[in-house]
Amino acid sequence: MAKQPKSIEDLSPKERKELEEKLKNMSPEEIAELQKQQCIFCQIVQGKVPSKKVYEDKTCIAILDIQPATKGHLLLIPKEHYGIMPQVPDEVLQHLFKTSKRLSQALLRGLKVSGTSIFIANGQAAGQRALHFMIHLIPRKDGDKIIDDTEKLIERSMQEKVRIAVQDKILSLMGVEKQTTLKDLKKDINNELGEDEPEDDEEPKAEVIDDDEDETQNDLEEKKPVSKSKAKKKAIPKSKSKKSKSKKIEEDDGGNSEDNIFDDNNKSKDEDVTLDDIANLFK
Amino acid sequence: MKCEYCDLQDKNEDIIYADEDIVIAVKDKITTPGQITVYPKKHYPIMEMVPEDTLNKCVYAAKKVSMAVFESLEAQGTNILVRNGLSAGQSVPHFGIEIIPRREEDNLNLQWKGKEVLEDEMDMILEAIEMDLKKPSMAEAKEEIIVDKGETQAVLEKEGDNYLLKSLKRIP
Repeated sequence: MAKQPKSIEDLSPKERKELEEKLKNMSPEEIAELQKQQCIFCQIVQGKVPSKKVYEDKTCIAILDIQPATKGHLLLIPKEHYGIMPQVPDEVLQHLFKTSKRLSQALLRGLKVSGTSIFIANGQAAGQRALHFMIHLIPRKDGDKIIDDTEKLIERSMQEKVRIAVQDKILSLMGVEKQTTLKDLKKDINNELGEDEPEDDEEPKAEVIDDDEDETQNDLEEKKPVSKSKAKKKAIPKSKSKKSKSKKIEEDDGGNSEDNIFDDNNKSKDEDVTLDDIANLFK
Repeated sequence: MKCEYCDLQDKNEDIIYADEDIVIAVKDKITTPGQITVYPKKHYPIMEMVPEDTLNKCVYAAKKVSMAVFESLEAQGTNILVRNGLSAGQSVPHFGIEIIPRREEDNLNLQWKGKEVLEDEMDMILEAIEMDLKKPSMAEAKEEIIVDKGETQAVLEKEGDNYLLKSLKRIP
């Protein structure tokens, strides 16, 4: 992959066909490498594409956005190519925020604005346009209405649902002991559901979900096969396992639920918090 | 008036995680359901006032939360947002990082319209920002003087260097 990158427009039809053929046979790693070569922000980092550089150190650079939301809109870019935040190593991410803190101050003082929005988009659904992870720093003034992020009150029950859905995962990612989490969860779910909870093998719910999203999923799979189908496949067993886990605990408290995490989809679902509910939260 | 985030720390049921430095919570006033907020336990109004260690912990947690919502809420994307200052839409005077789960059809539009800015103007802005970056960061300088008074004093005596000069050098 050491060849000099060539813009697609420069290719002859024959070369183009060859490239397409080559792409088909490439491993995901090779494709990632190629994306890096094509990435405009990697080229900016390397100085191959001109930019108005505000700041640079060995990890990152900050440049002025050429199509800014407001005057002074900065892009803080790690020099290494990462797609989305979960791929950025902790130290790099922390360095970027530390730098954001300083840059934000420069905007507040230097440009005499009264606020800054620090904004990251991860994934197309979140409005990410470039494939290179970056932090936007947008100088803000009163009433400029640059980002429509009005907040509204939600119901307590919704809050609860969200918390129950994510708590387990977050705590395990934060390195908190699972036992305490599961006990909490058990308490929560018991409180919510009372006694009546079907015991086992209730698969229909899962199928309904698949049906519902079949169309969109197929569409999406064509566009971005990796992210969508992966997320889908991962998400279903995971969130289901949460439920089966809590059920397991009811049966034998303190039992090791670790084996259940990747359990197959055949376990029961509780009535109140379903994947549907959680998915509908977004609509 | 008490701060909403400081208040929230007593209301256990909204809190997903808390340690001595940071809190992860589900707020009731949000942009979209599923939104989760990470904030320092201590009251810092804006990002510029948050000490580096605490900010690092917040960032670490925000990354984990963003990873979790992909799986647990079936999000297809996330937005990470810091509203820094009232005019940036900050409604609680306490620094926090919002993790906003996104889906293709969620009817949320957090995008802005890009403006064309003249070359001259870009250069003026660039200059203004660069100028400020040369100045010491007030919050950092102040903070370190307060926190490491002892150490700083020792360093000062040893090296005979002016603290402010030192921090000037340190600033990019």
